Amino acid sequence: MKKNLKLKILAGFMMLVALLMAAGAVSTIEFLKLSQSVTVLIDDNYKTIEASKTMLEALEREDSGILLVLLDEVDTGREILHTADSMFVASFKVAKNNITEVNEDVNILRIDSLYKEFKNKWSQPFNSLQSQGGIGVYHKDIHKSFLNVKKAVNDLMTLNQRSMFEEATMLKEKSHRAIMPGIVAIVGGLVFSLLLSFFISKYFVSPISEIAEAVKNFTIRDKVLRTNIKSNDEIKKLETEINSLIFRLTKDSETKVK
Amino acid sequence: MRKEVIIKFTGYVMLFNAFFLLVSFLISAALSETSTIPLLFSFLICIIFGFFPFIFVENHDEISFSEGLVIVAAGWLITCLVGMLPYIMWGGEFSVINAWFESVSGFTTTGASILTNVEALPKGLLFWRSSTHWIGGVGIIMFVLLILPHSTSSRLTLINAEMSELSKLNFRYKARKIVQVLVVVYVGLTLIQTILLTVAGMSFFDAINHSFATIATGGFSTKNLSVAHFNSPLIDYIIVFFMLISGLHFGLIYSTVIGRSENIFTTASVRAFVSLIFIGVILVALKLFFSNYYGWWDSLRFASFQVVSLASTTGFATVDTNSWPAFTHIILIYFTIQCAMVGSTSGGLKFDRVFLFFKSLGKQLKLIQHPRAIFVVKMNGRAVSEQLEKLTLVFIVLYIFTFFSTTLVLTAIDVDLFTAFSASITTIGNVGPGFGEVSSMSNFSTIPAFGKFVLSINMLLGRLEIFNIIALFMIRKGGF
Repeated sequence: MKKNLKLKILAGFMMLVALLMAAGAVSTIEFLKLSQSVTVLIDDNYKTIEASKTMLEALEREDSGILLVLLDEVDTGREILHTADSMFVASFKVAKNNITEVNEDVNILRIDSLYKEFKNKWSQPFNSLQSQGGIGVYHKDIHKSFLNVKKAVNDLMTLNQRSMFEEATMLKEKSHRAIMPGIVAIVGGLVFSLLLSFFISKYFVSPISEIAEAVKNFTIRDKVLRTNIKSNDEIKKLETEINSLIFRLTKDSETKVK
Repeated sequence: MRKEVIIKFTGYVMLFNAFFLLVSFLISAALSETSTIPLLFSFLICIIFGFFPFIFVENHDEISFSEGLVIVAAGWLITCLVGMLPYIMWGGEFSVINAWFESVSGFTTTGASILTNVEALPKGLLFWRSSTHWIGGVGIIMFVLLILPHSTSSRLTLINAEMSELSKLNFRYKARKIVQVLVVVYVGLTLIQTILLTVAGMSFFDAINHSFATIATGGFSTKNLSVAHFNSPLIDYIIVFFMLISGLHFGLIYSTVIGRSENIFTTASVRAFVSLIFIGVILVALKLFFSNYYGWWDSLRFASFQVVSLASTTGFATVDTNSWPAFTHIILIYFTIQCAMVGSTSGGLKFDRVFLFFKSLGKQLKLIQHPRAIFVVKMNGRAVSEQLEKLTLVFIVLYIFTFFSTTLVLTAIDVDLFTAFSASITTIGNVGPGFGEVSSMSNFSTIPAFGKFVLSINMLLGRLEIFNIIALFMIRKGGF
């Protein structure tokens, strides 16, 4: 079967292009995964961690507010309590709307119920707090509720911090996987180019040089151009055409001599 | 030498690798693993480089012996390079040198690993790791020869380049038949072992991976604790049986199955090999029992597993032999040096050479008594030529010289003597585990990068046989 030189070279270059395109596609996919991981870090975990920190701050303020109320600084204490409560509720809403980890919903429900319990204790009127035992009831009951809510919020924060750490560790692996196809494609492309140039030299340049050499050394006595070309392509066709030309020219010159 | 012919043959090798990369990719893709993209890209690279030479290079019927040697060496080298691609692209514990070490260790069926946590690898990559054993076990060129419609002379040239003279002694078949016998026995044993291990309680995935590693006498496991993970005497004994079978001459296994008179039961070298293993197992078991390591049945179970594992060059482990008495270490080191039989999937020195050495030694002793007499050394009833006898002796000397040289290099980069020595003999013998820091329950991660490179060269020398490598350099110097 006759093979087309143009098609052979084209196929070689197409393969090189395919290699580079594959590397590009793979790198793109991996970089997309990388950017998704960054999004996960920022949107999913970081947001909840910040909300948890605010909740902890609010809880601490509420604790101070309760102590002020018990120390007869009722107005200042109540004001702090209400401000801190708004702060807690707002942050809790952020965390509640950003459930992304396994078991995070359980944590949120726990915080919700524990906080309600805690809030129920300090939202009673001042007299009621005093009548229940004042600072004594704080130590026995209210402070315990405060610690329970604090622990639940800390658990939520730890869950997200751990997930963030795992994701950050994976980022290193993901960036490695995004870069490697490019490096492999560069090395592969170089080797491929060397192979292509070897084949072009072997199957195109060398036969043409051989024909040129044969034409250079051709004498009228040879009658046929002798080369060592064994392929079945345009170069063989060129050799055949040259031989046909030689045949016609020889025939013409013989006719003229006669 | 026609470079284009060599390039075309390495193309076949890459296409063969591409098939296993595709299977590994499909496993990974089905499980949505992190190794999906690295395996897919490696597959594409193999396909592109494998098909590329076919565009230009016409079919060639004849291959010269020197071309055959280069094709085999280039085929192995390209295979090892391709094998490291999924590893370096996946990352984890795989640096460039680690990926190269793991790939060479896989294809040469050594089974030495740099991984501290094998179970962290995705299943697709684990399958590729086991596949490297299976591809390398019978020799990738053999697979290529089975598939390709090449002339008998080309096939014979490549078989001669891939197989040692000794291993051809028991193959009384034509070139095409040799390849068929090898592959039929290889595939048949793998299938039977996979079925038996699945029945014994392993998952199908673990069973096929362990079968790949057993029949290829490799040793890569899918578990951190190797076969010890399964803690099953039945699984241990199934693997012991198949390790032993895989250490025998495949031509003789085939002869046994088709009922020929010259089979594994009647051949002197096989009987000697199995008897020696039996003695080794009994000695180790007795020592373990009387040193109060285990009860009698456990001593027998662990001794048989470890001795057969090293004698067949597989390298699986069910216990940490580092803690065993020194007496057992010596026996295990002997089997690590001796290796399995020619014509099997094992590498290294090979038992038949040791057997021939002792026969030759006997002949020399007789010659001292009767200087004018003519004695002929026979192997399995056939006379061995003086030339083959001399070559075998030179091979043994070169083999010992090589692993001593490697030990020297390793100690120069501050690896302790015991570790350096056992790492050298275990890698050149394509066995896998050694002693010291590279013991059966440990790995090669602590060896410095240069040491890993030297050991990987050792593995290739053990697999390709030292003479073939020397012959390869002689081609460049015009010796062939």
